[in-house]
Amino acid sequence: MNSMLTEPTAAVKIDSLLAPYWAEIVEIVPEAEGIVTIWLRFLDQTLQERYSFAAGQFNMLYLPGYGEAAISISSDPQRPELIGHTIRFVGNVTRAVSRLQIGDTIGVRGPFGTAWPLETYQGRDIVIAAGGIGLASLRPVIYQILNQRDLYGRVVLLYGARTPSDLLYSTEFSTWEDNQVEVLTTVDRADESWLGQVGVVPMLFYRLRLDTDSTVVFSCGPEIMMRFVVFEGLARRIPHHRIYLSLERNMKCGQGFCGHCQYGPFFICKDGPVYSFDQLEPFFNLEDF
Amino acid sequence: MNAQQELIAALQSIPWFQDLSDQHFDLICSITHLVNVDQDTTIFSEGDKEENLYIVLEGRVAVELFSSVQGKIRIYTAEPLDVIGWSTLTPVIRQRTASARAVLDSRLAAVDGRELRKLCDQDYELGYIIMRRIANVIAARLMITRLQLLDLYAHPQGD
Repeated sequence: MNSMLTEPTAAVKIDSLLAPYWAEIVEIVPEAEGIVTIWLRFLDQTLQERYSFAAGQFNMLYLPGYGEAAISISSDPQRPELIGHTIRFVGNVTRAVSRLQIGDTIGVRGPFGTAWPLETYQGRDIVIAAGGIGLASLRPVIYQILNQRDLYGRVVLLYGARTPSDLLYSTEFSTWEDNQVEVLTTVDRADESWLGQVGVVPMLFYRLRLDTDSTVVFSCGPEIMMRFVVFEGLARRIPHHRIYLSLERNMKCGQGFCGHCQYGPFFICKDGPVYSFDQLEPFFNLEDF
Repeated sequence: MNAQQELIAALQSIPWFQDLSDQHFDLICSITHLVNVDQDTTIFSEGDKEENLYIVLEGRVAVELFSSVQGKIRIYTAEPLDVIGWSTLTPVIRQRTASARAVLDSRLAAVDGRELRKLCDQDYELGYIIMRRIANVIAARLMITRLQLLDLYAHPQGD
C-alpha cells in the first residue's frame, strides 16, 4: 500500500467507543438557515481533559429516543476543551438537536475515523476545496494551519455554497485572509447585490496558478462536486495520492462492525472518512457505490 | 506607454494569445481595443446583435439572464482572463444569449467579432487556434452550468 494513504489517527479516544458520554451544550452559533454550530463540554472534567481529536474526524452524537448521527468536528484540534459540531437539520436526530438549548446534554462517542494528513505535507501548498457544509470537516485543517502557519506554503480555500447567506463561517474569512490564507468563494445563485463569484467550486481552479509539484488538495462536499475537483486537480497534474477526499455514508457504529457505511472494501467510519484519491479511484464514480 | 503599446502588453498577458505567431498576434491586435467600464455599467444586453468578443483583463463582470418572474439572475461571474460574448463567433447564434454587467470597475479587451470571423475564414490556421480556444470556453461553461443545474447543495433528508 502507498505510504501516503491515510491511517487511523492516534488521537485519544474516550474510554468506551460503544457507550456515549454526556456533554453539555455551552453555546449555539447560528451559521446559516437550518445550520448551527453547537459547542460541547463533557460533564466529566477528567474525560474532557483527556479528550483530543484530529482534523477530519467525527463524533457520533446521541439523543435518547431519537438515535445517533455522525457529525464532523468543526473546531480547533488544539483547543479540545470545547468541541464544535456544525449541524444541518435534515433528519430525525439533527432535527431533535435543533430543539436543544444551552445547558442541555447530549451523548457523544468518538472521535472516529481518519484525519487530513497535514503533518505529511508540511512545507507544501495546500488547496482546500469545500462545498456547503463540507467546510465543517475542513475548518479544523485551517485552524491547524493557522496555529503553525510557517510550516506550510501557499494555502488556498475554494469554497462554494448555494447562496451568499449559505456560506458558513463567513465572519472568519477576514481573519483567515489576514493569516495568508487565500479565500475564494462562489455561490450557485445570487441576486444583483452580490459582488462575488457565481459558479461552482471546481471552476475556482481556473482562477489559480498552482505550483502543481508542491500542491496537495483536500476536498469535502457533495460527491459530484468532489468528482470535478478531482478532475481539475488531475488536469493540473496533481498526482492521485496528493488529492484527498472526505466521504460521507450512513455511519452507525463508528467502528466498522455494523457494515452500514461499507464502500467497496472500506468501512468509511473506520477506514475513512478521509481517503487519498488513489485509494478511492477503483470505486469512485461507479453507480451503486 | 501609448495606447498601442498598452494594448500589446495587455494581449501578451493573455495565455491563449501566447500560442499565436507574431503575424497572427499582430492581426488580432489590429482588430482589438481596450475598454474601461465603471461598476454597474451594462456591457451588452441579452438579445443585442453580437458585436465584440470580450476578454476580461481587470475587475469582475456578471453574466445575467432576465426572467420576468425572478428578475435578473446571475449565471456566471467572469474574472480576469475569462472570455465573455463567445456567441460572437458561433454561426448559429447571432444575438447575445445573456447580458453582461460590470460588478466592479473593469477593463476589457474588445475584439471586433465581425473582423475576427473574417480572419478565421481567411486563415484556417488562425481560425483553428481561435475556435479551439472558444470550444474550451464553451465546454467549461457547459460543465459549470450542468453542475449548477444539479443544485449540489440541496438538502438531503436523513441523518
